[in-house]
Amino acid sequence: MTLFIFALILFLLAILGAPLFAVILAVAILGFHHLDVNLSVIAIEIYRIADTPVLLALPLFTFAGYVLGESQTSRRLVRFTQAFLGWMPGGLAIVAFVACAFFTAFTGASGVTIVALGALLYPALTQAGYREKFSIGLVTSSGSLGLLLPPSIPLILYGIIAQQMNIGANVAINDLFLAGLLPGLLMVVLLSFWSMWENRRNPIPYKPFSVREAIAALREVIWEIPLPLFVLGGIYGGFFAISEAAAATAMYVIVVEVFIYKEIKLSQLPAIIRESMVMVGGILLILGVSLASTNFLIDAEVPARMFDLIQSHVTDKIVFLILLNLLLLILGAILDIFSALVIMVPIILPVAVSYGVDPVHLGIIFLANMQIGYFTPPVGMNLFIASYRFNKPVTELYQAAFPFMIVLFAAVLVITYWPALSLVFLHR
Amino acid sequence: MVLHRVEDTILVGLLLTMIGMAVTQIFLRNLFEAGIVWSDVLVRILVLWVGLVGAMVASRQGNHITIDILDRYLPAHAKKVADFVVELFTALICTVVAYYSLVFVQMEFTDGGMAFAQVPNWLCEAIIPFAFTVIALRYFILSFISFKKIVESRS
Repeated sequence: MTLFIFALILFLLAILGAPLFAVILAVAILGFHHLDVNLSVIAIEIYRIADTPVLLALPLFTFAGYVLGESQTSRRLVRFTQAFLGWMPGGLAIVAFVACAFFTAFTGASGVTIVALGALLYPALTQAGYREKFSIGLVTSSGSLGLLLPPSIPLILYGIIAQQMNIGANVAINDLFLAGLLPGLLMVVLLSFWSMWENRRNPIPYKPFSVREAIAALREVIWEIPLPLFVLGGIYGGFFAISEAAAATAMYVIVVEVFIYKEIKLSQLPAIIRESMVMVGGILLILGVSLASTNFLIDAEVPARMFDLIQSHVTDKIVFLILLNLLLLILGAILDIFSALVIMVPIILPVAVSYGVDPVHLGIIFLANMQIGYFTPPVGMNLFIASYRFNKPVTELYQAAFPFMIVLFAAVLVITYWPALSLVFLHR
Repeated sequence: MVLHRVEDTILVGLLLTMIGMAVTQIFLRNLFEAGIVWSDVLVRILVLWVGLVGAMVASRQGNHITIDILDRYLPAHAKKVADFVVELFTALICTVVAYYSLVFVQMEFTDGGMAFAQVPNWLCEAIIPFAFTVIALRYFILSFISFKKIVESRS
């Protein structure tokens, strides 16, 4: 009974806006106290952050993403994709999807995609003849597209949390990066087809392919083209570990944006570092304290009990996956992605593994659902950012983004029930 | 504020050191098949430090990750009270953690283990009680400000 009251109080504090790290810490404190464990164990658990080599990737990729967000990369990226993809039917919409996916993969869906790319794409789309509602819906929903593509921060974070769980199966971040490629591509392809269908009676003038423009755009973006190659080529070519790829990316981005493009002054760098590290601090703090509470959950055999409870009602893997999708969609609508990862992965992962779901596949399912959560009310972050940026009421944005949500939901279903799409490159 | 600038400078220094060390290590490994033995350990500890100092900075205005579902639908007065309660709660929790992590660091101090080179473990871990003390203080200040707002709106 007292346990129930404590849980209720903490839940209330959480939804009233208490920092998540404090709520998780309170759970850990109460839990360890209950088990008669000295509370110093919390500090030991937090110190595990320093025992996780791959975590280095988190601050470095986040920093690189912030630098790219502050420079003119977004403009160059749009020009480049427009020059090479703009001639296709449905061209500009496809341009928007591809550019957003790439940009978000690097900037980690922190909302900067809408601010930096949306501000360019939205006027471009309406000018090209796309309907207002379609354009704003596209921009709002594309702000989280690319979450499944390397080196997205949530993907890395999922890997780190899963690695701390000792579930038997190995969850390498390299594998997660490969696993996200085709599902991410599927989303872009489905959205592109839908845009063409949606605009079938709305003839958008074709823009012929221009070799000159293509070369000019390529030359402009030439220093940023190597970035994805760095990450993927470096890691899978065996030159870099993930954390090294992150260090190289961070260094490269500083050199390119500060010294070659000269779009960021050296004096601006400290402010960018501070902004990005505040973000990293927030994530690392909830990660660190969740290491403590996860340990308590495992001590108290919560995942095992959860599994027994669910197993007594649901024996079928497919039914389990359907329920999982529903749960994740709801969670995605009320939790931001980082909270959802640290709270839910430690509970869901062992249960899903018991049902025979591959942990890497689960990560892709998890993030694919969360991606939709970015623009579902009440807390979908992209709705608020787009509302602020384009000066539109949130309800209007929600309606505009709804069709895109349905398309992405279809993609999530495919991703969920076709594990091979995620696992094909992994030799499992 | 001077304190803020010192904090910012430390944060910038930590990240640049981290990038510098990590990149140097890549060059050493690939070009000379060598490396600084303790570099990897130092970089990992820097991650913890950057994270916690970042968290300290985030606490200045209470910019931590929250699940504020109810928060934005509250009427103005109730919101002030809610702010006060959650800030005080956060401050108290951080105080508890600061105390027990200090105990942990003290134990490590008497233990006397070395993390890398000549740097003892306890020094690397000392950031934990320090950061939580600062975060606790900041949330005490935030809750005090919220409390004053409640009193002011009453009168």
